[in-house]
Amino acid sequence: MLAALFSHGISELFSWKPFLFGGTPFAFNKVALLALVSTVMCSFLFIGGSRKRALVPSGIQNVAEAGYELVENSIGVEVMGEQDGRKWAPFLAALFFWIFFINIWEVIPGIQFPATSRIAIPMYLALQTWIIFIVVGFKAQGPKYVFNSIFPPGVPKFLYVLVAPIELVSIFIVRPFSLAVRLFANMVAGHVLLTVFTLMCIELLKANSGAYQIAIIPLPFFMLVAMTGFEILVAVLQAYIFTILTAVYVGEALHPAH
Amino acid sequence: MKIRKLLATAGVAMALVIAVPSVASAAAKPSEFTDCMLKASELKTTTAQDNAANNCHKATSPILPALNEIVWGGIAFLIVAGVLLKFAFPALKKGLADRSAKIASDIAGAEAARAAAEAEAAEYQAKLAEARSDAGRIIEEARQSAEALRADLVARAEADAQGIRARASEEVQALTARALADLQGRVADLSIELAEKVVEHNLDHDTQIALIEGYINSVGTSGG
Repeated sequence: MLAALFSHGISELFSWKPFLFGGTPFAFNKVALLALVSTVMCSFLFIGGSRKRALVPSGIQNVAEAGYELVENSIGVEVMGEQDGRKWAPFLAALFFWIFFINIWEVIPGIQFPATSRIAIPMYLALQTWIIFIVVGFKAQGPKYVFNSIFPPGVPKFLYVLVAPIELVSIFIVRPFSLAVRLFANMVAGHVLLTVFTLMCIELLKANSGAYQIAIIPLPFFMLVAMTGFEILVAVLQAYIFTILTAVYVGEALHPAH
Repeated sequence: MKIRKLLATAGVAMALVIAVPSVASAAAKPSEFTDCMLKASELKTTTAQDNAANNCHKATSPILPALNEIVWGGIAFLIVAGVLLKFAFPALKKGLADRSAKIASDIAGAEAARAAAEAEAAEYQAKLAEARSDAGRIIEEARQSAEALRADLVARAEADAQGIRARASEEVQALTARALADLQGRVADLSIELAEKVVEHNLDHDTQIALIEGYINSVGTSGG
């Protein structure tokens, strides 16, 4: 079935030819366009929301303030504590909302492509988080950061033989990959699912030769509607997970026994 | 209403699926594939053409990141982070802090106003209680003075009545005495007249009076 739907390979869902600066590292394609449009929308939302100073917020101010406070309280303060959480909340909010905006294109009619379903952006964000928490760790704990990280307190000493290599690999090598792959794989899966159900609807309409297709068309269509709703949830959830993990990693780097 | 909304949503979704299937358009426009196949067909040998055509069917690895997308993704995120951290969030945080301060100040003001109102209400209550107590005292005093006045008036009336009764009694006694005196005089006169008629001679007046009074006294003594 998939082979029939994607006769030229699944990559045609994700490969976008550049329409500016082709052949250069600045080749500008749909992914780049969506990333920049997300930046503009995110900026408009928060600059617009912060300009209004109504005592009782409404409209864009309400969205901006509620969104910022959500990230600050339920991610920053909850994970990193009162002081660090409030200090890091602006970065975490920028990260959360940018990932959300870039994810949500998946269900926007006419666009229907999450830029995070390309590995480049999740990888960039994961590497950025990786660099940030390592730099923060060395800044907060000095050279003992690596030692503190791979020899966590409270573990029986003989277990360090096992724990230390696991922690070393998990913290300094696996984390950026797991961050990137989690976001990327979820968005790819969602995009493929929506595409499959969309193409099933279209193919059944095209091949309509009697009662058989008419009876079956509602099934993929119902799934398409349901999956669209589900993918909105996934877009929010993946942004939340990426942000909360970033907060956890930075929080751990700030305090060894966190 | 719900059914109408559901139908409308389903209609819009269906229209979107059919009219703007941009996800499908990616599949419907195999431009890269076509380009690849065209390039393959331009090769000289059949083997090379076959190999190149086979390569065209192979999907590009989705795991390998595209440098241009990393560059643009990085630029886009750095811009949004810069803009938000520099311009949007400080103003937003200031707005939130100002609002918190204003709400805290309003709550403190409201608390103070409530405390003042409660104190004022307590003061009013105290004054009211005092006024009630004063009114009770005044009523009691008035009642007592009215009672005293009534007792005084009653006593005075009783005294007056007593005086009146005494005076009346005295007057009655005086009148009785006078009547008795008059009666004695009259009886004496009548007796004299009668005696004169009986004895047909006149006694001198003093003798007559003495005789009559002696008679009356004897009558009074025997009658009394």
